[in-house]
Amino acid sequence: MKRKNIITIGKSAFVVLLFLSLAACEKDFLERNPIIGSTLDNYYKTESDAVAAINATYATLQFEMTPAGHFRWFWGDIMSDDAVKGGSGDNDQPQLAALENFQGPTNTEYLEAEWAADYEGIYRANVVLEKVPAIEMNEQLKARILGEAHFIRAWFFYNLVTIFGGVPLADHVLAPSEYNMPKASAEEVWALVEADLRAAAASLPVRSGYPASQLGRITKGAAQALLVKTLLWKQNWAEAKTIAEEIINSGEYTLVPEYKDIFTTAGENNSESLFEIQYMSESGGNWGYNSNNEGTFANVFQRARGQFEGYGFNIPTQDFVDEFFKEGFEDPRLSSTVFREGDQMGDRGLFTKEAVGGVNVFDFYPKKFFNNKAEEASFGDPNPNGGTNDRVIRYSDVLLMHAEASYHAGNEGAARQSLNLVRDRVKILEVTATGPALLDAIYHERRVELGLEGHRFFDLVRSGRAVAALGGLGYVDNIHRVLPIPQSQIQATNGALVQNPGY
Amino acid sequence: MKLKILLLLLICGIGTATYSQIKISGKITEPGDPSGLPGATVVQKGTTTGTAADIDGTYQLSVPDENAVLVFSYIGMKDQEVRVGKLRIIDITLQSDATLMEEVVVVGYGSQKRSNISGAVSTISSEEITELPILRAEQALQGRTAGVQVAQNSGSPGSALTVRIRGISTINDSSPLYIVDGIPVSGIDYLNPNDIESINVLKDAASSAIYGARGANGVVLITTKGGKREQQGQVSYDAYYGVQSPWKHMNLLNAREYAILANEAHIAAGRAPLPEFANPDLLGEGTNWQEALFQDAPIMSHQLSFTGGSDRSLFTFSGGYFGQDGIVGGAKSGFERYTARINSSHQVKKWLRLGSNLAFTALTRNGLPENNEFNTPLVRALNIDPITSVRKYDGTYNYSVYADTDIANPLNAIEQTHDTWSSNRVVGSAFVEIELAKGLTFKSTYSLDATYAKQDLFFPKYDLSIDTTLRDAPAAERSVTNTVVKSDYTWRNWQWENVLNYEHTFNTRHKIGVTLGTTALENNFVFLTGSNTNLPTNNVLDAYLGNTIDPRTSQGAGDGISEASLLSYFGRVNYDLDDKYLFSATFRADGSSRFGVNNRYGYFPSFSAGWVISREDFWKAEDISFLKLRGSWGQNGNDKIGDYSFTTIVYSGQSYTFGPGEIITNGNAPLEASNPDLRWETSIQTNVGLDVELWNGKVNFTGDYYIKKTEDMLSRVPIPLVVGVRSPFQNVGTIENRGLELSLQYRDKVGEFKYSLGGNIAFVSTEVISLGKGGEPIVTGNVFSAGNVSRTEVGHPVAAFYGYVTDGIFQNTEEIAAHAFQNESTAPGDIRFQDLNGDGIINEDDRTFIGNPTPDLVYGLTADFQYKGFDLNVFVQGTQGNEIYNGIFRYDFFYTNRPQSSMERWRGSGTSNFEPRVNLNDPNFNARASDRFVEDGSYLRIKNLQLGYSLPQSLLGKLQIQKFRVYVSAQNLLTVTKYSGLDPEIGTVGGALELGIDQGFYPQARMFLTGVNLTF
Repeated sequence: MKRKNIITIGKSAFVVLLFLSLAACEKDFLERNPIIGSTLDNYYKTESDAVAAINATYATLQFEMTPAGHFRWFWGDIMSDDAVKGGSGDNDQPQLAALENFQGPTNTEYLEAEWAADYEGIYRANVVLEKVPAIEMNEQLKARILGEAHFIRAWFFYNLVTIFGGVPLADHVLAPSEYNMPKASAEEVWALVEADLRAAAASLPVRSGYPASQLGRITKGAAQALLVKTLLWKQNWAEAKTIAEEIINSGEYTLVPEYKDIFTTAGENNSESLFEIQYMSESGGNWGYNSNNEGTFANVFQRARGQFEGYGFNIPTQDFVDEFFKEGFEDPRLSSTVFREGDQMGDRGLFTKEAVGGVNVFDFYPKKFFNNKAEEASFGDPNPNGGTNDRVIRYSDVLLMHAEASYHAGNEGAARQSLNLVRDRVKILEVTATGPALLDAIYHERRVELGLEGHRFFDLVRSGRAVAALGGLGYVDNIHRVLPIPQSQIQATNGALVQNPGY
Repeated sequence: MKLKILLLLLICGIGTATYSQIKISGKITEPGDPSGLPGATVVQKGTTTGTAADIDGTYQLSVPDENAVLVFSYIGMKDQEVRVGKLRIIDITLQSDATLMEEVVVVGYGSQKRSNISGAVSTISSEEITELPILRAEQALQGRTAGVQVAQNSGSPGSALTVRIRGISTINDSSPLYIVDGIPVSGIDYLNPNDIESINVLKDAASSAIYGARGANGVVLITTKGGKREQQGQVSYDAYYGVQSPWKHMNLLNAREYAILANEAHIAAGRAPLPEFANPDLLGEGTNWQEALFQDAPIMSHQLSFTGGSDRSLFTFSGGYFGQDGIVGGAKSGFERYTARINSSHQVKKWLRLGSNLAFTALTRNGLPENNEFNTPLVRALNIDPITSVRKYDGTYNYSVYADTDIANPLNAIEQTHDTWSSNRVVGSAFVEIELAKGLTFKSTYSLDATYAKQDLFFPKYDLSIDTTLRDAPAAERSVTNTVVKSDYTWRNWQWENVLNYEHTFNTRHKIGVTLGTTALENNFVFLTGSNTNLPTNNVLDAYLGNTIDPRTSQGAGDGISEASLLSYFGRVNYDLDDKYLFSATFRADGSSRFGVNNRYGYFPSFSAGWVISREDFWKAEDISFLKLRGSWGQNGNDKIGDYSFTTIVYSGQSYTFGPGEIITNGNAPLEASNPDLRWETSIQTNVGLDVELWNGKVNFTGDYYIKKTEDMLSRVPIPLVVGVRSPFQNVGTIENRGLELSLQYRDKVGEFKYSLGGNIAFVSTEVISLGKGGEPIVTGNVFSAGNVSRTEVGHPVAAFYGYVTDGIFQNTEEIAAHAFQNESTAPGDIRFQDLNGDGIINEDDRTFIGNPTPDLVYGLTADFQYKGFDLNVFVQGTQGNEIYNGIFRYDFFYTNRPQSSMERWRGSGTSNFEPRVNLNDPNFNARASDRFVEDGSYLRIKNLQLGYSLPQSLLGKLQIQKFRVYVSAQNLLTVTKYSGLDPEIGTVGGALELGIDQGFYPQARMFLTGVNLTF
């Protein structure tokens, strides 16, 4: 072979080799995932991943304000006869004013934020329910985490179904093809809530089963209590009564001796707390997206304006205050629920109209989310860093639900017994009424005992009393028992979502 | 053959030392003119032996032997070489080299004669680049090429430029792909403009489609200088020095006027005027803060280069220094760049060539806050009241007791700013080229682009409120803690490219060129940052991370890392029949790690064809010496979509508190949905063009018309909230650009007076066709006192201005009552806004599009004149039809200064119908985003005016110098504009959708320079 040919062959072989070597490593070469941090594909492999995933699901419980979040008292109190919007005047959150008079626009940032927060929580719970079962880990812990996820998913669907009625039943992480999900019926949503709560109750430890360091985690009692609430909505009185009795007989909960202690900082996670959303003042959180904030805005929103450095929302009505005098004496719980002129507002001074300032001063201010100046954040903006926990379900609520269920189940004796346990705590006369008067007494007790805790509107709707109580405000029963689906979401789904009737 | 090489080497080696033996003489002329070309040169090739023709065009020269080769040259003429042989009298007629069509143009992975190109490619030569002293290579593109819009992002030294080829073609990153000597580089700030041999801009899809997924925004191909074959060794020194100064001050209120308006504003708001303003006349002119802020600043450049070449080896060594201080803050916004370059190539064997290009750049840039209304020296100087003096009596900086917190004393703020960016960058490549067979070559190139940069930031502790007789200084004049931040950034990109090239001509008529290749490249980025607060000492020299008393509470750190990879296969076929019918087709397949798994590869085809009509036999129009019709179609991609947009990141920090001690406990969750379908943005472009040359190159004309459609544009389309996470990026939007580009050049000479005139103009219109399902407009451009002023909406240009339409001033309460409701406190003297939807209320629904930041046309004009040794160059550049949103003034504060036109305010019925009353509170919100702040941003700027003188060749020959030229130059000498701000040339100030908003733009300086070019 000639030398020239050898060179040519050699050169050609070299070229071919270069091209081949390039093609050989192709697949790996183009697979590039983030180097620091995790992705959906490489996460959810270890026990600590599972714990972090459920913690992130808890984080959504804290979400308030836009773009995703809610105040339970927006709907439960402001939209009821217990409170009005308040604020600095008519121009301060006018959308809320419109909602409270049942003339609401079908799209406000608050409706959207409620919807968004609920589904963000549901998404994270779904991620846990889909990813955690495959992780090799302590089986007991895994069961607990799945139980927590079931509860949180149920909680958000409970919010959705009581606020909006039938909603899309996103019971799994949605694929892009499912984004335009239509509404399921309210019954289907309730069924999921019920199933999730039963699953949670079955796998969650009781309150005392948790180590102290895990205080704040969802317990079996919380799942059972929300299930009782659900069963009341479903008017499944017998089972509601049974499960309420399981909670009562568990021995996990007792009423706090002094009613006024419940809402103090020291009263957080007290002996009658079944479900409490945790907030803290020292997280340094800021305005903006909720994820990095462990504090609540409820403190600043509900404090009086002026010297008290609040925004003055959720103002108790005269009608609400009057309820405390219905039995011919001042119910002792009033002074723990409402500030009246001349009351001392903690370490912030005496409540005088002058101290509140010149405009839009009210006779009453709410007290259950009041915090002292001394309890404010030592750094950062105190406004988004309120420390007061949201007491969602207390033992007295369970007792009153038990009373209501027992009444409807035909056991007035059991009803009176539970009702009077709640009354005995504040040392007022026991109820001896029977028949409808007993039911009325239970309703009265709920309004007084649980006032300004975000229950009233839903209690009224659930028990069919909304027209009577709210008709004057513009409430029409077959429309306003639910709020409108946010218009933006109807658009975002190309109309796959259908607006609630009447809106 | 070997003998010849040896001989040439000998000649080169011996050079000037050779003893002269043969005398040659003759006359140099040009066609049709026997009078001779005075000043034309004759040089013995490979030596410095040479002479210049005298006034009659005659010359005499001695050469050592008959093998000597003479090179005859004259500016504007083609060089001619003649071997001496037996000739003793050599008369020569030089041919004009004016025919641009013969120049060789660099295209993607190859080069072509301009006459044979069927795409749209513009070229900028090294002469044009070095003609005006440019600071960054991008500047060379400004006004030189039709269809390339270049604008300064800031006038501060070393700042980046916005380069847009054929308009803004996406709502995301529209910047072009830069390829320097075959290496894709992230930005060309490292290049020394003097090192550039040529810049070629690939504008249409057919030209850029060979770059596939990266070519959608056009490609800028830069070739740096190498040696030339058999070039005598050459040493060049180029330097200039200049002084920069501001070319404009804004017309603002003086102290007297300020006090008058302050008094009126107090009364209008129902408050008592300030006692110290009781007699405004006593206050006089007050402080001129612009004069205090601006300063003259030096600029200088030195460059030394060595080039040479034998027939086997070519080389260039060069080193340069460039330094520029800012007209604001001097060295505090100063910039320095050191560059070094070694380019070489070697013919090792007849079939084997090796080479390498290696560039090193070290640059340092000191930064001041720019282009925002909160803390920039510019905004502060324009907004601070004229009452306040720069310094107190004790010599320390004063502060305004009137202006609000943001408006600190700009000079104090500059002194407290310590922000230095410095980077070391190496861009290098090595190649081996093998000739496999005749016409068939294979080239393999490995390249690296590595940048190691760091940023040093120090925020000292300071407090100006020592003077107890005054109020406490506002927050901006006080800093209670100090902080040092040091960050390291590393970018490391490598590429390996293999290209097979085949060229052959069959039967002298069929010319075929085939290119096949592969590319693999990887980008890596790492950063590491550390910070330290509450340093025990407050000196910038002590500003290091370890200077702490308690590291636990004071120190912080952060880091980040990312990478991306690209694997590509590409090919091109060119076919020319008789140099008359030109065809080209390209295809590229790009696999990118940035694309989702379902769309790993993108495929990009293109076709183009040309017809050189003037070469047809039937072509009889002799005046039109060249005429070519071109057409092309192609697809390209934009892969600047983020490295990991396709995936779902699990974010930490989704925390909750547990336990009696409220322990913040971390949680991790995804916040965005993933999009495995994510892919490149696709651009589809059709181009038709025409190249015309008249009178053998005296006139050159090029015209192009194109339609460019960018589809699959990335946007976060809102997804239903039921999904529970934010929407991912999706390929949804469409933008269309249509444009016309014309360029014309005329060259001629009258006797020894030579001149050329050139101009180019580009019209482009951009329309957003779709923003995906729902098509929600994208709102951007936040101006603090007005809200968002920019909107990108279907049917409109990108980031157009959006706001209310003013309709004069309410003269009385009747007019207010008769008009739609604006505000409870609207009073006579307030602006009337149009009720566009006629619903009787002025609210957000009454806003509309009120301006476009993108020019309708961009142009550049050049004129070159030469007479004997003198040369004069004028370069004019401008835009027409664009608007600027003037967001300089902080109308959200009252006690700030205002433009002088505020004196024309409404003071009673009939006093003004355009300038509203003054009021401390602005209850009518006259400052809202409206056409009141939208100004015509068109401008015409004499970018460069330069006069040079070169010593005559006759003198230089004796000194053995090839070229000695001195020049004076003025940059930004004159700007004609209606815009009231400091500079109408405003690039992208924030994101891709923040265009043409002036929020304290750092103006470009006017410069006067003097320089020298020396070659020997």
